[in-house]
Amino acid sequence: MATQIVMDATGDTRHEFNPADASAVAEAENRFKELTGAGFTAAVRRGDGRSELIRSFDPTAIETLFFPRLQGG
Amino acid sequence: MGFKEILLHVAFMSVLIFCALIPCLALTETVARYRACAARRHVKAEQKALSLLKEWLSPAQRAQYERDGHFEVMGSHSGKRYRIRPAGHMNIDEFSEHGALVAVWCFGPHGYLPVGDVMLAQKIALETNETAALQVANSNH
Repeated sequence: MATQIVMDATGDTRHEFNPADASAVAEAENRFKELTGAGFTAAVRRGDGRSELIRSFDPTAIETLFFPRLQGG
Repeated sequence: MGFKEILLHVAFMSVLIFCALIPCLALTETVARYRACAARRHVKAEQKALSLLKEWLSPAQRAQYERDGHFEVMGSHSGKRYRIRPAGHMNIDEFSEHGALVAVWCFGPHGYLPVGDVMLAQKIALETNETAALQVANSNH
């Protein structure tokens, strides 16, 4: 199973999907587009604390994290 | 006014005060219950965010965080060392190559998020796109 993790006020909301299920992947891709279109940044965990920002949906990513647009504090 | 009338008056006022007190007590209890519930939700959200943060930290960062309560990251473009402390703002310390504190930076995700989420977003931003992160940041140097 792959997971999309969206940061929010509750900590996060997780959406799991089966990468082998075409309709689930399409739904995950739509979610990716909606979130990044709304200003969220998407990052994929590459292991050992390393992460990578992604600009387009990666159907092979096991874990994708979305956090809201950055701003100065 | 006779003694009986005074007694009646006092009894009437007592009933009136008692009747007014009941809704007040009920409201106070409702507010207290709501606050306790909100506090529980807040604690749960903070714990969830800290758990996510720990999952995404490197083993060295996780060990440092558990030992010292903060962790360090390396800027993706400059290679500079930053220390991320658990706070909602002004929580990123930049160090010189000699280990001296040279600036405190402040940036984070838009909107309210638990502290662990803020720290994780800061870590990813500095480690993957340092220049863009610092462009939106405020600093005190």
